[in-house]
Amino acid sequence: MAVRRKLIKERVPTPERPPKERVKDFKEVNLGYTFELAVKEAERCLQCPYEYAPCIKGCPVHINIPGFISKLVEYRDNPDKAVREALRIIWNDNTLPAVTGRVCPQEDQCEGACVVGKVGDAVDIGKLERFVADYARKNGIEEELLCEFEEECTGELGKVAIVGAGPAGLTCAGELAKMGYKVTIFEALHKPGGVLAYGIPEFRLPKEILDHELAKLNRLGVEIKTDHVVGRTVTIEELLQEYDAVFIGTGAGTPKLLNIPGILLGRIYSANEFLTRVNLMKAYEFPEYDTPIAIGKKTIVIGAGNTAMDAARSALRLGSEVTIAYRRGREDMTARIEEIKHAEEEGVQFEFFLQPVEFIGDENGRVKAVKFERMRPLEERDKRGKRKIVGTGEYVTLEADTVIIAIGLEPNRIITETPGLKTNPNGTLVVDENLMTSIPGVFAGGDAIRGEATVILAMGDGKKAAKAICDYIEKKRAKANA
Amino acid sequence: MPYKILDKKELAMNEVWYKIHAPHVARKVRPGQFVVVRAFPNGERIPLTPVTWDREEGWITLITFVRGKTTMRMANELKPGDELLNVAGPLGNPAPMKKFGKILAIGLITGMVEVFPIARAWQEIGNEVTTLHVTPNPMVILREEFENAVSRHIVEGFDLQPGWGMNEIAQELVKRAVAKVKELLESEHWDLVFIVGPAGGQKAVFNVVKEYGIPMEADLHPIMVDATGMCGVCRVTVGGEVKFACIDGPGFDAYKVDWDELIHRTGFYAPLERLALEHYLKTLQAQGGEQ
Repeated sequence: MAVRRKLIKERVPTPERPPKERVKDFKEVNLGYTFELAVKEAERCLQCPYEYAPCIKGCPVHINIPGFISKLVEYRDNPDKAVREALRIIWNDNTLPAVTGRVCPQEDQCEGACVVGKVGDAVDIGKLERFVADYARKNGIEEELLCEFEEECTGELGKVAIVGAGPAGLTCAGELAKMGYKVTIFEALHKPGGVLAYGIPEFRLPKEILDHELAKLNRLGVEIKTDHVVGRTVTIEELLQEYDAVFIGTGAGTPKLLNIPGILLGRIYSANEFLTRVNLMKAYEFPEYDTPIAIGKKTIVIGAGNTAMDAARSALRLGSEVTIAYRRGREDMTARIEEIKHAEEEGVQFEFFLQPVEFIGDENGRVKAVKFERMRPLEERDKRGKRKIVGTGEYVTLEADTVIIAIGLEPNRIITETPGLKTNPNGTLVVDENLMTSIPGVFAGGDAIRGEATVILAMGDGKKAAKAICDYIEKKRAKANA
Repeated sequence: MPYKILDKKELAMNEVWYKIHAPHVARKVRPGQFVVVRAFPNGERIPLTPVTWDREEGWITLITFVRGKTTMRMANELKPGDELLNVAGPLGNPAPMKKFGKILAIGLITGMVEVFPIARAWQEIGNEVTTLHVTPNPMVILREEFENAVSRHIVEGFDLQPGWGMNEIAQELVKRAVAKVKELLESEHWDLVFIVGPAGGQKAVFNVVKEYGIPMEADLHPIMVDATGMCGVCRVTVGGEVKFACIDGPGFDAYKVDWDELIHRTGFYAPLERLALEHYLKTLQAQGGEQ
C-alpha cells in the first residue's frame, strides 16, 4: 500500500485493571484493545516493505507484521473480515498468537526493531497480535479458518514424535501438521503447555486461552499423550522405531537452587514448585482444589527475571508482603519492562545488590530470615553485557517466613541420559545448524538447546526444526526409493 | 488418557487395592519405580507404587493407605469401571538388581506394598530374602503373596488400643520395629537391610542397623509434586549433597541420608493436610444431610 502516513509518536494505550482490584485475584491484568483502539494503533504502522521491515526480522518466527496490521486498517468498516484476513497472515507463521501476543518480550524483539520506536513509542505489535487472536476466538472467525487449514493437514507425509508439549514442541507440531505430517506429542505432566501451563500465571495468560490454543492443535490432527515421561515411559530409541523423526522440546525445567546453608528449610520454594502449585494445581483455590501451598506474611523472592516477577506477583495475590532481592542493580533486571511495572504498581518491594549467603531457620525448621551480602557493581561487564559485581563484606539480614528462589533453570536430566545423545557441559543438547542432535533423525530446540530463554525463541526453533524434519524425511524417502 | 479401574477392593483396614489399566506403565515399570496419580479434576498429584503388573494385559495394581483427603476420596468415590484421570510413569530409578546374599527387607505399615516387587525380584535373582512387616494387626496385607515370593515372611503385628491416635500408633510401630530388627540382627548374619516406611520409623531402624555395620538401603518418601525433577520439593541431603528423590532416588544409602531433615520436611503440610481432610469430611456430612 502506497499510503503515506503521518508518524504518530504516542501509542494507543490498552486498558488495564487497577492494581488495587487486580491483586485480589488471578484474573488477567491487561484487558487488550477493542477493535476501534486496535485500528487506531494499527494506523501508526508505517508499512515498511516486507523485504526490509525490521519488525519481521526482529520476530523469531518472522510473522508478516505490516501485512497483518494493514488488514485491520484496510477493512476498518468490516471488523470480522479485517480480523479474518489478519489472522490468516499470522497463522502462516505462528499458530499460537493469543499466547505470544501476551508473553513475548516484544521490546527485545519485533517492537524493539520497529522504526517508529526510534522517534516515539514502537507500534504495539504484541497487543495487536493478541487482539486479532482474541477477537477471532470470541467471534467464531477462528473456526472458519480452522476448517480451511484442516484440509491441508492430511497426516499422509509421515509420522513425527515430539517430546514435550511446551512452546517449542507445540509450534513444531503445528507446523508439521500444516505440512501434512501425522504428529504425536509426548508430555510428562497431566496438562500440555509446558511453561505456559505451569509457569506463567493466569493474570498474564488465562488458562482458558491456552486450552483453546491446544484444542486448535487437536483440530489440526495433532495427538497429545500426557503422563508420558520420555526416557522412562518410552525411550528415544523406541520412538525412532515407530516414527520417521523425533523432536525434543523438553525445555529447561530443573531449578537451580542456591548452594548455601539452610536450603532445605521449610517454606523455601523453587519458583518452579511455587508456580506449579499455583498455576497448574490451582493451590490458590485450596481447599476447593486439593493441592496445598504454605505461604507466610513476608515473602522474599530471589532473582529478577520474568519467573521472579511471576512468583512475586502470585505470592502477593496469596496475601503476602513481597520483596524481590536481586544481586545486581535495577537496570540489570532481565524481566520484561511491563512485568516490572506491573509488579511495582501492585506493591512488590525491590532490594538491589543483595546476594544471599545463608537462610536462617526457626525452632520448627522453617525459614525466618535471609542473610545477604551487599554487593557493589564494577565497570567491567560479563558475556551477557551485565555489570560484574563484587562483595563488600557488609551483611544485612531480612526477615522472611517464605522464600522463593528464581535464579534460573537448567535442562532436565531424564532426557539427557539417552545413550548417544550428546550434551554440552551445561546440560543443553548439542545440535547442528539444522537443529539435528548427535542421533540422526532426532532434532531439538527451545530451552533444551539454549538453556533458559524465551517462549518465542523456543517457538522459532520449533518452526525451524519442522522445516529441517520435513527435509530430512524427504531425503530419507528419496534415498530409499533410489 | 483413560486409565480404567478394572477392579477395586478393601484388603484390610484403610488399605485399598486397585487394578488399573495403564499399558504405558505396565510395559516398562521395574521394581523400585513408582507412578504419579491424579484422580479428580480438582485433585492433587500423589506418588504411588505399582505392586504387581502384567506387561501383556497392560495393567498395574496399586494399594493406597487411606490417610488423608485424596486417598479417602479415592476409596469412597471410585468404583470399578471408573477412570483415573492421570497415571504418569514409571518414575524414579529401579532398585539395584544384584546378588547381595541374605537380605532383610522391612516394610512399616503400607510401606510393605513398596517392598513387595523389590523383594520378589531380589529373591528371583538368587538372593535369600526375609521380609518383615511391622503393622497394626487390622492392617496386615499381602501375607500370602509374600509367603509365596520370598524365603521367609515375618509379620510383627500389634493390636490397636482404644483411644490411640496417629502418635501412639507411630510410637508402638517404632518400638516393635526396633525390637524385632534387633532380635533378627542379633541372631543371624545379614548382607543387606532394606526399609520402606515413614521417615521416623526408617531412622529408628537405621540407628539399630548402624550398630551392626550392615549395609542399608532405604526408599525415601519426601513430598512430591511433578516427580520428574522440575520442582525440587522432594530434595533430600544425601552424603552432604542435595538430591531430588524423584529422579536420583527413591532408593538411597541409609548411611548417607540426613534423616532429621527428611522427617522435618515430610511434616511441612500437616496442618493443611488436616484442613483438606476436614473440608472433605464436612462436604460428606453436608451431602449426607441432603439425602
